[in-house]
Amino acid sequence: MAETYPINIWINEERFEKLKNAGLGGMPKEVLAGMKVLPVPNTDAQKDMVLKLFPVAKFDAATTKSIELLPKEVKDEIFDLVVKRKSLNIMDEFLKLKEKKEV
Amino acid sequence: MKAIGHGGEEIVERVITDKNEALKKIKGLKQVPVRRQIATEAISIAYGFFSPLQGFMKKADVESTCKNMTLADGTVWSIPIVFDMSDKEIAEYGIKAGSTVLLTSDGNPLATFEVEDIFTYDKQEWSQAVYGTTDMKHPGVKRTYEYKDKFLGGKITLVNPPKLNPPFDQYWLTPLQHREKFKEKGWQRIVAHQTRNVPHTGHEWLMKHAWMATHAELSMEETEEGKAVTGTLVNCIIGEKRAGDYIDQAIILTQDALRKYGYFREDVHMTSFTLWDMRYAGPKEAIHHAIIRTNLGLTHHMFGRDHAGVGTYYHPYAAHRIFKQVPQGKLNITPIFVLEWLYCPHCGEVTCMGLCGHGKEQQKFSGTLIRSILMDGVKPTRLIFRPEIFDIVMDCAKKYGFGSPFVTPQYIEKGTPAFRIDPL
Repeated sequence: MAETYPINIWINEERFEKLKNAGLGGMPKEVLAGMKVLPVPNTDAQKDMVLKLFPVAKFDAATTKSIELLPKEVKDEIFDLVVKRKSLNIMDEFLKLKEKKEV
Repeated sequence: MKAIGHGGEEIVERVITDKNEALKKIKGLKQVPVRRQIATEAISIAYGFFSPLQGFMKKADVESTCKNMTLADGTVWSIPIVFDMSDKEIAEYGIKAGSTVLLTSDGNPLATFEVEDIFTYDKQEWSQAVYGTTDMKHPGVKRTYEYKDKFLGGKITLVNPPKLNPPFDQYWLTPLQHREKFKEKGWQRIVAHQTRNVPHTGHEWLMKHAWMATHAELSMEETEEGKAVTGTLVNCIIGEKRAGDYIDQAIILTQDALRKYGYFREDVHMTSFTLWDMRYAGPKEAIHHAIIRTNLGLTHHMFGRDHAGVGTYYHPYAAHRIFKQVPQGKLNITPIFVLEWLYCPHCGEVTCMGLCGHGKEQQKFSGTLIRSILMDGVKPTRLIFRPEIFDIVMDCAKKYGFGSPFVTPQYIEKGTPAFRIDPL
């Protein structure tokens, strides 16, 4: 399976409630002492685009193998789109929206 | 009693505290403005954090540090402490070996600098020797290559002590003041916890592990509340930051909060800081940290996994291995080597990798994961992160970090530095 370069969205009770309502309650993974994380997958090209659009973000190749340091508001937008589309495959749409704003 | 520091030398403060004497000393001296990096190290030299150094290093010391991991006189030393300048600047200020100049910072007098040596050094050789690489992506190598082409060595005398900005002012102690504090507390053994992190419970357990190892064969009566003879000093590193690091205020306030909220008893824990720009030199930096803490009067120093490392340049336990290369008696501080602490869902607790047998189930702490959780503003479970610490981190983000607990370009540009130099 190809690498997916996830963006880790951490799930608190409020976010978990929204996910359950969208039928995605089974999607978060438990990683550290019961902490829930929703890994939103990115292809290699999407990962490069995320890093280009948000220069503060970094791909952590050494430990987590995920895209980190994205500002909270950006992750909030990604999470909202996941809930709206009831799917984790939203990065193309998200990046297109962001690219339009950039232009 | 004399305060004996690294290399068996007495700690000497090269600081003039009398204003009139300082004004007399600097009268007529050529003023040389210095950047923050140099000001920070001049302050540390003057107070004895880098004892036995009394000034910026001369060529013989830099050469010996790179080639032998010692100063020219054989004292163990691992990282060059240098003052760099371009030929153009040297000519402009008319500096020669034998000149004394006044270093200024924030436009105000800082220290006198008695220049004894002006030299060049091969930066590639230096990088390879100290960092084990010449890769410019390594932050220590980058700093080395960014130095100007000439180096000036000679003694420093602080003429205008720094003023510490809140909240750092509550935690600033010179090496001699550290020793006074330890005496007041009745501590006979003190173990250093070196940090540039906000603590999660994995860090907390590393500290507890190191305290127990330090107390070792001493009696249990000597751990009774109010009679403790063994203490933990959390000595935070405050200096140059990289994007994504925790902001300095969050580091120092959360570390101190571990005691304030009872995770460590009042009489076994204290917090202070050292001004130092991390070089990320891994094992060589571990030696440097041991030297600094010796000068602060500590007896033990904890070294965990990947101490002062960056990326994948060093073996996770390289900082442990290097101490085997130091001849006995050359470092007057005992290293305490600790293994990783992690969360095991089977044990239902934070436990030590060297003890827990549920290998496949173990969940390792990752600084990046914790940062990621905090970035989302999600409160972690108290098993991995104390709720009081989370609240302080978020408060620091608002008060000092322009909304973020992590270093941003805005924090680097406009954040309140640890110290300032006021007019004399």
